[in-house]
Amino acid sequence: MYKLKLIFRYLLKRRIAWVSLAAVTLCTTMVLVVISVMGGWLRMFRASFHGLSGDVIVSAAHPTGFPYYGEMIDQIEKLPGVAPDGAVPIIRYFGLINIGDLKGMPVEVLGYPADKIAAVNQFSRSLFLQYQSLIERADDPESDLTAEQRDALRSEAAEHARRPSFSLLANVDYETAFRLHYPKANPALAKGARNWPGMVAGIGVLNIHKNETGKFVNRHEGLYRLPITLTVLPLGTERGVDLSSKSQRNYWIVDDSRTGVWQSDSRSVYVPFEQLQKDLLMAPQKWTDSDGNPIETPARTSEINIKVLPGHALDEVRDGVNRIVERVYLEHHVMAYAPPDVATWEETQRVWLGAIEKETVLVTVLFGIISLVAIFLIFCIFYMIVVEKTRDIGIIKSVGATSLGVAGIFLGYGLAIGIVGAGVGGGVGWLVVHYINELHAWLGRAMGVQIWNPEVYQFDSIPNTMEPRQVAIILAIAVISSVAGALVPALRAARLHPVEALRWE
Amino acid sequence: MGMTSPVPSDRPTPLPPPGATRPADALAASPVILRADKLDKIYRMGDSELPVLRKLDLEIRQGEFLAIEGRSGSGKSTLLHLLGALDAPDGGSVIHNGRDIGKMSSSARSRLRNIEFGFVFQFYHLLPELNVLENTLLGPMIELSVLGFRRRKRELRERAQTLLKSLEMDHRLKHRPWQLSGGERQRVAIARALMNQPKILFADEPTGNLDARTGRTIMESIERLHRDHGQTVVMVTHDRTLARQADRALILRDGRLADPAV
Repeated sequence: MYKLKLIFRYLLKRRIAWVSLAAVTLCTTMVLVVISVMGGWLRMFRASFHGLSGDVIVSAAHPTGFPYYGEMIDQIEKLPGVAPDGAVPIIRYFGLINIGDLKGMPVEVLGYPADKIAAVNQFSRSLFLQYQSLIERADDPESDLTAEQRDALRSEAAEHARRPSFSLLANVDYETAFRLHYPKANPALAKGARNWPGMVAGIGVLNIHKNETGKFVNRHEGLYRLPITLTVLPLGTERGVDLSSKSQRNYWIVDDSRTGVWQSDSRSVYVPFEQLQKDLLMAPQKWTDSDGNPIETPARTSEINIKVLPGHALDEVRDGVNRIVERVYLEHHVMAYAPPDVATWEETQRVWLGAIEKETVLVTVLFGIISLVAIFLIFCIFYMIVVEKTRDIGIIKSVGATSLGVAGIFLGYGLAIGIVGAGVGGGVGWLVVHYINELHAWLGRAMGVQIWNPEVYQFDSIPNTMEPRQVAIILAIAVISSVAGALVPALRAARLHPVEALRWE
Repeated sequence: MGMTSPVPSDRPTPLPPPGATRPADALAASPVILRADKLDKIYRMGDSELPVLRKLDLEIRQGEFLAIEGRSGSGKSTLLHLLGALDAPDGGSVIHNGRDIGKMSSSARSRLRNIEFGFVFQFYHLLPELNVLENTLLGPMIELSVLGFRRRKRELRERAQTLLKSLEMDHRLKHRPWQLSGGERQRVAIARALMNQPKILFADEPTGNLDARTGRTIMESIERLHRDHGQTVVMVTHDRTLARQADRALILRDGRLADPAV
């Protein structure tokens, strides 16, 4: 009973111990924030990178791509564990874009088959006009939309999520838009502009980004009336890039994409698969060799992305796909020095994920070491308190307290500081993590400081979720550390001789 | 200063009823409750040794008020600490109820200090974090578990308040030690020492830090406690006048006890 009473009183009255409390609180908060942000970063990386691709990917070893992908897809889709229509060809290449006369930049060009791409990745959910803006409007609590209207918006978004589109926007007069951008051009060309294909551009390509308040800027109606010229070097032969010619095609921006991965959003544009395949000369071609014999070159693609059904092992599907690729190559007598590579999505991102995992461990260890300072601080403060309370320890012992009981006071005191410090630190940590983007925006507004650079960290938002298991472990370590810091002083207090303690000056 | 009877507890007490007096022959017939046999105590400072107690023998009978007189540094407090299980002798033994205190475990000695013995020190030794009532309740708080204390809380509080009232401290229950005068602190220390109804009350220069008038009131309290309730008291003092107020007074000289008249 006396232990509880004294622990409670010491906690309230000994202000020096509040320094220990502050140290435990700060360390708990610090470690929680760091681990949550780093862990969240890793989780976001995994989720976002996974969202960019299928579960298993067949990748060409060369930019010219690989042939017979149609046959491969037919066989892959029959493999156990592969989702229905779950094998989709994608072309990944590089090009140069000119946005009107405003901006030119190199980009990664992705050719997506609009009718199938939703089966393998999260591209459709990254689109602003077709998905995100509809969900935002449906979920906007300040909007005066009826429940039916909100449901209609959600249904429309779900439909687009199943089948995204590169179609031109119905509400845009493309002839007028053309004349606006090219006032001196031949009017006949303006009519043709209505037939240009649509392109989706990453938000970074269109300079859409979060400002210091955390809100997206530069997204306006005029964006979707912008003509873009895409220049690519064709991949006409299997021998490589044809540097002697170029292919140029005009597109209209029909949507913008935010995958969350800045690396992708800042330099990727998406166009219809067939269009890009044609422009890169990867579509089937008929020609004659030097002896006049007709030759037919099969269509090629850069990748096949495969969606694996939940509960199926990716490695097994990967091995099955690998066998199919080898068999198709063998059947067609394709001689390849470097056949397509088959890998799971984690294997393709191994370098990135491995680096982040190591960084997370490193930062955690570093902050763990810093937290040792808190233990040392508790040790010093408790030692001071024990010295200061030596006579009181003698009094307590003279009234009958055992050595174990006296040790219990200081261990309990450490425990109390640990529990309170970990509790407060946990609460503060949760607040910081939960509102970290708002905090970051406020720092930007108040001091012009931008700590989280999306170009460095790949995401335009700081991860703000906490893993309950990690939180529990950190809080437990904080409590144990506090008790550990109090251990030696508690043992010293326990070993004090009552008479010497009573005579302490 | 009026003194009321402490509230009876469930602990059996050998004390006679209040108001009873103990004639000398009755005292001689009382059982010995604490005995020191050939006690030695030596203080060592580096290579030099300072023997404080030399083959000291002493018997303390139940209900006795024994005063041990001696000059400063004569070893009075040391003797009290040895008798009260606060310290261990270098030789000899202290026997309580037939058991050698030196051979008891540390926790058994702690229990002895908690249940059987009560201490009053010259410098009061109250805990500054606790108020008057809580300081008085320290013994039971150490003795009992949280649940045990909660179960007996009302009874213990009443007993503490009665004790404090008998010492005219009931108006200061919520005060902290630093808000009290020296005499008041010593009265709280007496209340704390009596809280667990100890068989022996050890008082180490209980008036040594007080002015003469306050010292007298403290001595009156101790005397009344002995006279009215038969409390066994062992008091050490350097003040011969105070020592004479006891049933028996001994002088500690050269590490041994002697009759002061000799």
